[in-house]
Amino acid sequence: MADAEVEDLLRTLAPQVLGAVVRRYGHFDTAEDAVQEALLAAALQWPKEGVPDSPRAWLITVAARRLTDLLRSEQARQRREDTVAQWVLPEQWLAPAADRPASDSDDTLILLFMCCHPALTPAGQIALTLRAVGGLTTAEIARAFLVPEGTMTRRITRAKQSIQHSGIPFGMPGPEERAPRLAAVLHVLYLIFNEGYASTSGPALQRAELTTEAIRLARLVHRLLPDDTEVAGLLALMLLTDARRPARTGPGGELVPMAEQDRSRWNAAYIAEGVALISATLPKGTPGPYQVQAAIAAVHDEAPHAEATDWPQILALYEVLMEMSDNPVVALNHAVAVAMARGARAGLDLLGELEADDRIARDHRLHAVRAHLLEMAGERAAARASYELAAGRTTSPPQQRYLNARAARLAD
Amino acid sequence: MKYLIMLMGSQRDYDMISGKAVGDAPAWTPEEIGAMHEFMTKWNGELVESGEFVDGRGLTAPVHARRVSVRDGVPVVTDGPYAETQEVLAGYTIVECESFDRATEIAAKLAHTPHPEHAQLGRDWYVDIRPIVDGFEDLEL
Repeated sequence: MADAEVEDLLRTLAPQVLGAVVRRYGHFDTAEDAVQEALLAAALQWPKEGVPDSPRAWLITVAARRLTDLLRSEQARQRREDTVAQWVLPEQWLAPAADRPASDSDDTLILLFMCCHPALTPAGQIALTLRAVGGLTTAEIARAFLVPEGTMTRRITRAKQSIQHSGIPFGMPGPEERAPRLAAVLHVLYLIFNEGYASTSGPALQRAELTTEAIRLARLVHRLLPDDTEVAGLLALMLLTDARRPARTGPGGELVPMAEQDRSRWNAAYIAEGVALISATLPKGTPGPYQVQAAIAAVHDEAPHAEATDWPQILALYEVLMEMSDNPVVALNHAVAVAMARGARAGLDLLGELEADDRIARDHRLHAVRAHLLEMAGERAAARASYELAAGRTTSPPQQRYLNARAARLAD
Repeated sequence: MKYLIMLMGSQRDYDMISGKAVGDAPAWTPEEIGAMHEFMTKWNGELVESGEFVDGRGLTAPVHARRVSVRDGVPVVTDGPYAETQEVLAGYTIVECESFDRATEIAAKLAHTPHPEHAQLGRDWYVDIRPIVDGFEDLEL
């Protein structure tokens, strides 16, 4: 088996193996290290010596043995007393149906719920999800987030200890807890995708490996929960957004706005898959925010060129989205849709309202949108000033270059 | 996955729950002993009900134990090798359940075992839970 195939296999098996070991022996934090070591051993041995008959059992055996070793050396260092602080009291425990077999897909989902537990910081949730469920190494995650490996190691260690010490049992959250916990999982995947798609720091505008990983994980959750419409919506949103990636940057790494992108470079396979997915999902019930955002992305992607964009439909969808959440970025996009559907002046009026919102008043995106709308309205000098203001506010070099170039085009 | 839940006890504990006065603590009354048995029976019954029960046994008092050891290459039998207050296995329950955490929850219920006010163990109460070596069948689909 080729190295790449082995790597794919290992990444698929990683959460199943960790789940099996934690389910059986507990010790989430140490088990995670043990599984990493087993994966490493496999990555070195399998390409040379061949893949064992049951790769999963091989990994579980090696990881369990390694866990025993690690626990023993911990015990030698200090008399270990893991007092788990908050066991769910037995009288509050909901026994699962006893005939339910433990399946690997359950384990992967349980792990996702654990890694995205509200007890962890968002940064911890993201890092742990990528490592424990995504099977990325700490070095890979550190590189993706542009932080030193030592920093990422500490972040992951802290997150693992939080899980270990919070006494979260290895099991599915109860029925009343499940919806908010799934929402947390989807939010973490969305953040991973966004970090890859619109990185706010660093020399490159996009960090493709994070978007690829977010899509892989979203596919996984969709496979596990095929009937959940928001999971399908999130996957469709990612596919329909990532489809534009090849056209989003020019030859010099500069940012190309959607209206000016070469649409022949969009990923047609992703668009077809995303459109099919969201079309099948929307009729299933009242759509949630991920489905509405996916629907907006689909309308954009289906337009053969920018002028053909169905702005009235996009505007209607943004109005649905505005009903759902009080999010200033949604309001900003809504203002753009209003401008495209009804003229720049109508959009600018809405921006005036947003300037009173502290959450976005100082955000470069507000000034960038204002600049665009002023330019649409023919107010060149005011537009130029807004572009320059926005360029000063963003921390992303590609964004700065783009905004400064727009400003320069308007110099008389 | 199977787990062994080990209940520990000393000869002294056995004496107390068999209705003997130990030290200056009065003997347990039949009602008090009955309440404990009823609790254990219910705990066990719930496991049978949920399908998690595999096996459970109580062991006779430690004084009945024999130890076989080897001295100068010859097997030697010792009767009652334990000190009166030494904790040894008093009983066990084997459960088959979905995770170590579930086995822990089951064992933790035993912390509520009723006992008379005056009954002093002279130590912290505990039960031990040990994963049983098993093939990986239970982890494989």
